[in-house]
Amino acid sequence: MAGPVTDQGRSLTMARAGREAVMAEMRKNPNIFVIGEDIAKLGGVFGTTVGMADEFGAKRIIDTPISETGFIGIATGAAMAGMRPIVEIAFVDFIGVCFNAIFNFAAKTHYMSGGQFKMPLTMMIGYGGGYNDAAQHSQCLIATLAHVPGIRIATPADSYDAKGLMHTCLRDDNLTIWMVHKRIWGLGWLGTALKTAIATVPEEEYSIPFGQARIWKEGKDVTLVGYGITVHASLQAAEKLAAEGISAEVLDLRTIVPLDREAIFKSVSKTGRLVVADEDYMNCGVTAEVLAVVAERGPQVLKAPAVRVAYPDVPVPFSRPMEDFCLPDADKIVAAAKRTLGK
Amino acid sequence: MTDIVVPADLWDTDDEGVLFLWVYTDGAIVEQGRLIAELTVEKAQLELNAPASGRLRILVQPETIIKKGQVLGKIEPV
Repeated sequence: MAGPVTDQGRSLTMARAGREAVMAEMRKNPNIFVIGEDIAKLGGVFGTTVGMADEFGAKRIIDTPISETGFIGIATGAAMAGMRPIVEIAFVDFIGVCFNAIFNFAAKTHYMSGGQFKMPLTMMIGYGGGYNDAAQHSQCLIATLAHVPGIRIATPADSYDAKGLMHTCLRDDNLTIWMVHKRIWGLGWLGTALKTAIATVPEEEYSIPFGQARIWKEGKDVTLVGYGITVHASLQAAEKLAAEGISAEVLDLRTIVPLDREAIFKSVSKTGRLVVADEDYMNCGVTAEVLAVVAERGPQVLKAPAVRVAYPDVPVPFSRPMEDFCLPDADKIVAAAKRTLGK
Repeated sequence: MTDIVVPADLWDTDDEGVLFLWVYTDGAIVEQGRLIAELTVEKAQLELNAPASGRLRILVQPETIIKKGQVLGKIEPV
C-alpha cells in the first residue's frame, strides 16, 4: 500500500478541471442538470462532460438535437422554475440563434421580475481559432456577449482558474458564461498542449471571485493585458522581451464581466505602457474597453500611446498562413511592446 | 510491479489513440483507481486510472501514438 496521496503535482487539463467542478456541484445539488449536443455518449465535443452520463444518467445529462434555440429556452425556463441548468454550446459561433432567450430573458428576468425569479443558468462555451476551422467555427464573440447587462463572463486561462471559476459560476444566481478557448482546453486533436494552461489543481473545491484579475508575471516597463489564450501569448512575449532587457508585466483579466478595472489601472500606473492582446475582433472589443479604463481614470500615466493586438475586422480565413497572419501571437505582442518603448 | 496497460475495451474501434497527458510526474506516488493519464481517440477524450497503488514510472511520453494493449508505464510497489 502506498503512502498518503497528495495533490501535489496533479496536473489537469482545463476540460478535466472544469468537469471536476461541475460533477462536485451536481453531487451536492440534484437541481443541476446539463443540456446540449453530443454531451452524453460523446462526452462533449471538447470533453466537457466525459463520464457524466454514466454517473448522473440521461435525466441530468440531456443530449439534444441541433436545436440551440430550443434548449436555451428550456434551460432559461427551468432556471426560472428553480432548477440550476448548465447549457453546453461547443462553438460560440452558433450562439446567435439563442440571442432572444439569452439577451431578453436569461439576462433580464432577475431584474425585470424585481428579484422574484432568479436565473441560476450557466453556459459553458468554446471559442477561438488557430486550428483552421474557418470563419464560422473560429470566432470569440466575447465582446458581443459582454455588451449586454446581466451576463457574467468568466474566461479562464489555465486549469486552476477553470475549476475555481466554474464553481463560482454554478453558485451564482444570475446568468453566467464560462468560456474556454479551444486551443487551451487540453484536447489532443487541437494540437500540442500549452504547458502554461495545465496547472496543478487541488482536489478540494474552491471558488475564484469574479472581477479579480491575476498577475502572472510582474514587470516594470510595460503591461501586457490578455485573457484566455492571449495570456499564454503574452507570457511568451514577456520571455522574449526579457531576453532584450525589457521587463513586462502580464495581467490576465480572468473575467470580462465584471472587469477588474482597478487592477488594469494599477498596473499601467506602475509601468506607464500598455499592450492589450485579444483574439476577439478589434472593433468595439475588449481591447477598447481596457484602453477606456486608462483613458477615463488618468491617461497621464501613459508614457506612450497604448497598442491593441486584436483580431483584424475580417472573417477568419480558412487558409493556415492567412489565419496565422491575423491571429495575435507572441511576436506581434513583442513588436507592440517595443513600439510603446520607442524601439 | 504492475504494468499500466491501455485496456482493450477503453474504446469501441480499432483506431489508434494518442497519449495526451500524464497527470503526475515520473516518480510520483499514486493511488489505485485515481486518474493518471488522459488519452485522445479520434475526437474523444478518454481517461486512464491507476491499476495499482505505488510509484508511477512513465515509459511513454505525451503526444505519442498508442494502441490498445500497449504498456504506457509501471507502478512500483512502495
